[in-house]
Amino acid sequence: MGPPKKSKKDRGSTDKFAKKRRAEDEAYTQLVDDNDSQDCVSESDGVPGAASKNAETNDENINTDEYGAKDYRAQMQLRPDHANRPLWVAPNGHVFLESFSPVYKHAHDFLIAISEPVCRPEHIHEYKLTAYSLYAAVSVGLQTHDIIEYLKRLSKTTIPEGILEFIRLCTLSYGKVKLVLKHNKYFIESPHPEVLQKLLKDPVIQKCRLIRNEGEGFIQGTMDSKAITQFGTKLPATSDNPAEDAASTSAATAAAAATGAPGTTAEGAATAVAVPEDITDFYEKIDKEEEDEDEANLKTVSFEVAQEKIELIQKRCIEIEHPLLAEYDFRNDTNNPDINIDLKPAAVLRPYQEKSLRKMFGNGRARSGVIVLPCGAGKSLVGVTACCTVRKRALVLCNSGVSVEQWKQQFKMWSTADDSMICRFTSEAKDKPMGCGILVTTYSMITHTQKRSWEAEQTMRWLQEQEWGIMVLDEVHTIPAKMFRRVLTIVQSHCKLGLTATLLREDDKIADLNFLIGPKLYEANWLELQKKGYIARVQCAEVWCPMSPEFYREYLTTKTSKKMLLYVMNPSKFRSCQFLIKYHEKRGDKTIVFSDNVFALKHYAIKMNKPFIYGPTSQNERIQILQNFKFNAKVNTIFVSKVADTSFDLPEANVLIQISSHGGSRRQEAQRLGRILRAKKGAIAEEYNAFFYTLVSQDTMEMSYSRKRQRFLVNQGYSYKVITHLKGMDTETDLMYGTQEEQGQLLQLVLSASDLDCEDEKMPGEPGYRPGGSGTTKRIGGLSSMSGGDDAVYYEHRRKNNGNVHPFHSAGSGEWAIIELQGDLEVRSSQSMHDQFIGDLYYNKYGQPILIIGHHILQGREQKLEKPFAVLEKSKSNEGHQLLNTTDATLNASTMNTTEGPERTLLDETVALEHKSRQRTEYTVRAICTKKLIFKARPKPIIANVAKTV
Amino acid sequence: MVNVMKGVLVECDPAMKQFLLHLDEKLALGRKFIIQDLDENHLFISTDIVDVLQARVDELMDRISFPLHEKDP
Repeated sequence: MGPPKKSKKDRGSTDKFAKKRRAEDEAYTQLVDDNDSQDCVSESDGVPGAASKNAETNDENINTDEYGAKDYRAQMQLRPDHANRPLWVAPNGHVFLESFSPVYKHAHDFLIAISEPVCRPEHIHEYKLTAYSLYAAVSVGLQTHDIIEYLKRLSKTTIPEGILEFIRLCTLSYGKVKLVLKHNKYFIESPHPEVLQKLLKDPVIQKCRLIRNEGEGFIQGTMDSKAITQFGTKLPATSDNPAEDAASTSAATAAAAATGAPGTTAEGAATAVAVPEDITDFYEKIDKEEEDEDEANLKTVSFEVAQEKIELIQKRCIEIEHPLLAEYDFRNDTNNPDINIDLKPAAVLRPYQEKSLRKMFGNGRARSGVIVLPCGAGKSLVGVTACCTVRKRALVLCNSGVSVEQWKQQFKMWSTADDSMICRFTSEAKDKPMGCGILVTTYSMITHTQKRSWEAEQTMRWLQEQEWGIMVLDEVHTIPAKMFRRVLTIVQSHCKLGLTATLLREDDKIADLNFLIGPKLYEANWLELQKKGYIARVQCAEVWCPMSPEFYREYLTTKTSKKMLLYVMNPSKFRSCQFLIKYHEKRGDKTIVFSDNVFALKHYAIKMNKPFIYGPTSQNERIQILQNFKFNAKVNTIFVSKVADTSFDLPEANVLIQISSHGGSRRQEAQRLGRILRAKKGAIAEEYNAFFYTLVSQDTMEMSYSRKRQRFLVNQGYSYKVITHLKGMDTETDLMYGTQEEQGQLLQLVLSASDLDCEDEKMPGEPGYRPGGSGTTKRIGGLSSMSGGDDAVYYEHRRKNNGNVHPFHSAGSGEWAIIELQGDLEVRSSQSMHDQFIGDLYYNKYGQPILIIGHHILQGREQKLEKPFAVLEKSKSNEGHQLLNTTDATLNASTMNTTEGPERTLLDETVALEHKSRQRTEYTVRAICTKKLIFKARPKPIIANVAKTV
Repeated sequence: MVNVMKGVLVECDPAMKQFLLHLDEKLALGRKFIIQDLDENHLFISTDIVDVLQARVDELMDRISFPLHEKDP
């Protein structure tokens, strides 16, 4: 019994250090520990067996030529009017679509519903039919029969029998049964009585059934034809009358189809007739069915089930291959009070946002599922709108404290929700949850398992007691399935909406999400959004930086971890980076530089004198740097580690430079691209308005990683430009590391770096993450030794220092304050501090002082002195006929270590002495200090001009 | 006594030269093959090793490139 023991020991040791850790980290470790010991079994829980079916193996016996092309002629007969039809359906489940076909739009919408996009370059799109995608199709209301029929009509060839079989297999059992929460009772509902019969034969489900009257049969019913939910600024009048609304929408779609088809084919009169009639007809039908499936007044049967056994039923249903689709009839939920939020009239949904929401609220009920939109395409608005539509208590989960703030902002921007309704629950900010409508928190706060503060404990209890109407899961791809399961056990929510840009994981665990949250409801096409100007047009470029001979030599001989550092710190990469930053700063662009490696991040940033953000950077500092980046015209470049990969909303940034990355992670590449995707104001859609550079050291493993990473974006239709030589870089003279000598020093620096420096920054939840102090402090040590020559103006001595009050030059005017620093001020050239300019002092709008000394910024607070201090000026006069000013009347003498009047016995001697020499020492009160400014926090390195806007 | 050795002039970028030097030093091809290190971009190597060397460089190139269109598993 080795493993369990070990994990026990682990836990013991983690508890020991638990106090030191930040709340967020603990949850992760705990989770990992748990997984080691007990959680192995649940790996495949919640995923039905059919999910493992795969059409890929259908073509094992097919001949393949030398290029990998497959010969399907035996299985697919070309149809006589193939030129007018846009699809091929290959026997291995791959579907190819001509994007230039006149019926492209119809086919595209349909394929998005039933299959996963694989690759979408300009002309031919590739999709793939999978068990999950078909499950998703069924859940948005498509029937097996419809899918097959429409595929047949769109296809240039006959559909291979294997595929038909696959579709039937995957769709027949799925989506037939729904779990509906209506009037606060749970019902299992299905339009197919035979399926319900089958379910009821199962002993487990039988037990869960709730029979109120003896001998009760199925509850017969028709799905009431509710109006399609309206979003945003749609006229509210239409939703009053469902029939009229339905009529108008169907008329509208019909009209759209009618005008759409001839419209697209208008360029050639010959092709206008070429669109096969059956395709458009059927499209209308499908379209209508998708959107107003309930208009048909489907007969349904249902039976009630006991609420406490829901989980059991769900599990059982998956086991017998009838996964339940959860729907939430939020309009008829009277148990949970409505919260009073609406979209602001100014919030206008873009067509694709509306479409995605339409999939979610297609039948007037809320479905659970995942919506995939590119970063910057307005995922948050979709989330906010969903919450406003459901109008029940909403829980928003995101993965960092910064994005919690951003979500709050989004809610305030788009909806009528105000501060009192939105409650944040993070380790930094805890608002009072009681009575609020929207709770925004992080995944780790919820799953946190160690002891919480009393306040957090209260909130958690409250949170668990609530029935949540909707749960919005931001960046849903990032959370491990285990963690997610834990969230689900803690929070009771009727409907779950996952939002992500990249439904993609290197470990392919993403499929599980389909069954944990729900099917993918919508996925947008990046290139199309780009064409329409909703997201920025990005020029992707891979810049090849030749390795310097010395670095390459070391690269060849050293071990793996150092290798990485060597190609990241390659001097020509540094120069390229510097050149690009300069180039874009001149253009007035805002640049973000990404580096996974902290050692490199710091070195680059400090050398170039730019602010940087990485793991240990505090929340306040992060926000401040980001604010400066947004509003300060002088901060145009920031360096960030991978903490900024997701959910850092930086709408201003339009240039991204990547100097080191996490191996071949496609997701990271896409997420990073997302940081600059937000549509730029006043941009012309024709031109590139954003730039994405990846700096790659030539002849190293980085080349291979970079290629790997690009796959996802290439599949989305992006193309990469390879730049082997940056024009104008040779003529640029003030780039660093130009000489052999400097490069040699850099190499020494790299070689002396510790192993820890070679690693990527570890995020909580990643294997190898070391929570707590040890790892971090070690790194800091590494930094100071490395950058010791840099502007070291700050030493920590923990000594009270109130000698820094500026010597007075103007008498008695203005306000005086004592400045207390935690540390010493040192002047580099050993001149006297007297009369020296130290730095600028500002006050922000909250009245907090900000002191800027050189390249450092200090934030402090103001404190009233209990006992005021006086500033005295000492002057000697020979005559002594001047009267001494008795200054002590108002001051508390005990705090003054300077002398006062001559009458004091204590000072008699001195006074006597002074009398003797006929000299009088005179003290004049220049000022009285009643307050002091305390700068307790460690100075933050930031560029000097930062505070211009504070 | 005069030793005559047949050689080939290799022109390459500085980094690649480092790779060749590395191979030479580590006796990766079984023996030393660089006759003369000329300058930053040039090496003089013995003729009979050229084929093996070419294979080795190709291998390096393969290792650092990644096929964008991977075959279906």
